[in-house]
Amino acid sequence: MPASMREALGRWARTLRRVAGMPDYAAYVAHLRRCHPERTVPDERAFYEEYVTARYGDGPTRCC
Amino acid sequence: MTAILWALVALAGAGAWAVLALARGETVSAAWLVLAAVGTYLVGYRFYSRFLARRVFGLDDRRATPAERLANGRDFVPTGRWVLFGHHFAAIAGAGPLVGPVLAAQFGYLPGTIWIVFGVVLGGAVQDFVILFASTRRDGKSLGQMAREEIGPLTGYLAMAAVLAIMIILLAVLALIVVNALRDSPWGLFTILCTIPIALLMGFWMKVWRPGRTLEATAVGVALLLVSLVAGRWVSTSPALAAWFSWSPLTIAYAMIGYGFVASVLPVWMLLCPRDYLSTFVKIGTILLLAVAILVLLPPLRLPALTRFTDGTGPIFAGKLFPFAFITIACGAISGFHALVASGTTPKMLTRESDARLIGYGGMLMESFVAIMALCAAAVLEPGVYFAMNAPASALGTTLASAAEAVRGWGFTVTPADLQALAAQMGERTLVARTGGAPSLAVGMATIFGGAFGRGLSAIWYHFAIMFEALFILTTVDTGTRVGRFMLQDFAGHIWKPLGRTSWYPASIVASLLVVGGWGWFLVQGVLDPLGGINTLWPLFGISNQLLAAVALCVGTTVLVRAGKARYAWTTILPLVWLLLVTLTAGWQKIFAADPALGFLSRIRVTLAQVAAGTLDPATGSRIVFNYRLDAVVAALFMAVTVLVVAASAWEWVMIIRRRRPAVSRETPFVESAYAGQHA
Repeated sequence: MPASMREALGRWARTLRRVAGMPDYAAYVAHLRRCHPERTVPDERAFYEEYVTARYGDGPTRCC
Repeated sequence: MTAILWALVALAGAGAWAVLALARGETVSAAWLVLAAVGTYLVGYRFYSRFLARRVFGLDDRRATPAERLANGRDFVPTGRWVLFGHHFAAIAGAGPLVGPVLAAQFGYLPGTIWIVFGVVLGGAVQDFVILFASTRRDGKSLGQMAREEIGPLTGYLAMAAVLAIMIILLAVLALIVVNALRDSPWGLFTILCTIPIALLMGFWMKVWRPGRTLEATAVGVALLLVSLVAGRWVSTSPALAAWFSWSPLTIAYAMIGYGFVASVLPVWMLLCPRDYLSTFVKIGTILLLAVAILVLLPPLRLPALTRFTDGTGPIFAGKLFPFAFITIACGAISGFHALVASGTTPKMLTRESDARLIGYGGMLMESFVAIMALCAAAVLEPGVYFAMNAPASALGTTLASAAEAVRGWGFTVTPADLQALAAQMGERTLVARTGGAPSLAVGMATIFGGAFGRGLSAIWYHFAIMFEALFILTTVDTGTRVGRFMLQDFAGHIWKPLGRTSWYPASIVASLLVVGGWGWFLVQGVLDPLGGINTLWPLFGISNQLLAAVALCVGTTVLVRAGKARYAWTTILPLVWLLLVTLTAGWQKIFAADPALGFLSRIRVTLAQVAAGTLDPATGSRIVFNYRLDAVVAALFMAVTVLVVAASAWEWVMIIRRRRPAVSRETPFVESAYAGQHA
């Protein structure tokens, strides 16, 4: 797959994930590296579990 | 040039309204309905939402949003506005805008259309927009927190209690809709049962086997879902399997109660989260498909503009056009529940303040359009079929012949053979008295999809539509039960700390049981209700949802008054006054009306008379009496909370306007945005 196509696919995937409220591990890692370089980066599994627990634990995410 | 363009848009909309309003006796194309709605939305968005954004709220792109200031890469994330629009829309649009308009079609298509379109432009979209704006200026605070801080602690607690009560009624009525759609329907039940193992598979896939591969797992889930949809036909045609999957309404109700409990206690990654992903993609896909199909087909509307049931004698739900058309359609016109999302995840993702206009106001216009499509889907049915499907069994009798006879008595025609043929075409044994709106919406969607994408697949389309509705209703039941449990634990935590710990099993099991028991009680009583349950529960849900909207508009008005913008407070007070008029009238009539089909108290009198005359056994009688008393108390409580919140808020406004109290704004102080000056 050419690099440009892979990049476009990645963009689409990121959009779909955001729309559905799915976690975005790459974005989180980028944020940590940029803003908190001293912190250790959690592995993807730990991040995933923490993210979904927080998301569904705090107020309604879906309406009627 | 642009002025001419907007004049044309306005003219086209007005012309379409004229066609709809003047059409009598002939069938009208859905094109006029869509044109009238879209024309009004465009004008409302271009002019009214711009006025709100610039003059009333003063949205300022130089001010950094919470997503920028508090960015943490998880919930506070600056997000592109079209992506966030999709995210917000997927969160607010559920079963409400699909079911309400179908039920309100009892009055004809015109009252529903007018309310959905004008209600959203002047009310619903304003509410969503003002709450999103207020929360964005307050670090993404929730509606309850804002009510407490802006109006007062009592109002805050009342608002929280109201949200919990609404949740209970909402979950009960949504679950009842699913029960009515799946009872004695092996195909539908099989497909929905399959979603549980599919969700578990996805859950382990995303968490254990391939961490974080959410899209991959969802794609597999959607594919398996379509396989189970097709396999459902095979189940329904095999006599042995069909018998296995034909459940009675009561069995389905108890199964859903058990499921809700398990889903609330299990870790979210296992069941709840994968089902949410599945339902989000199915929902967005299906809504897009429906929009394309309606625009391609532009089907004729068979339902009249107005029916004789505007006088309050309708079989689907009791009550006159005013106020019950405005209660039956809450979501799609104005929905208080949205205030919870607009003050939840969305404000934490806004990149620029000005994006709130597209997302808050525009997102709600989009939901309103979904409601218009649902109305189209109901109105393409023959009126006889529509009433035979949506009236309760008590009005239709037990046979196809008695149903056809009852429909004839209401002035519409349908033959027993028609009803039989339609059921067979949709792959069901019977479609008579499938109350709750979902099945008739599914028949309407099957008709539209069949017309647009080729006939002969009606049964698949019908069950696809049922699967789509049941899937996201069950997602609301999952997440709603869990949210209800957290709220209950939050209350209990004030009394004894450990009760508030959401990860402590004993507390979370007890709280889950209480929430499930609450909505489960109303669900079971709805299943047993001789009038069909929807007649009682849907108006209660509408009243409670509008009540929450009234609370949200009170918060919005207070925010404006505190910011020294009292001269613009009419933008939120106008819909608030209308909502008060509607909810209080409806609540009063539901309790005190002399018509036993409408008023809870008259219904109690009739039941007691039946017991005294020996036509009803005392045990059933006392259960019915208890339930209607409970319903009356719930309606009275909703009304009392509304009056208290509005009175407390109005007092606050008067004090501030008369300068007895300082107009202190509780906005987070201004911080310059790094995006300032860049173009969106």
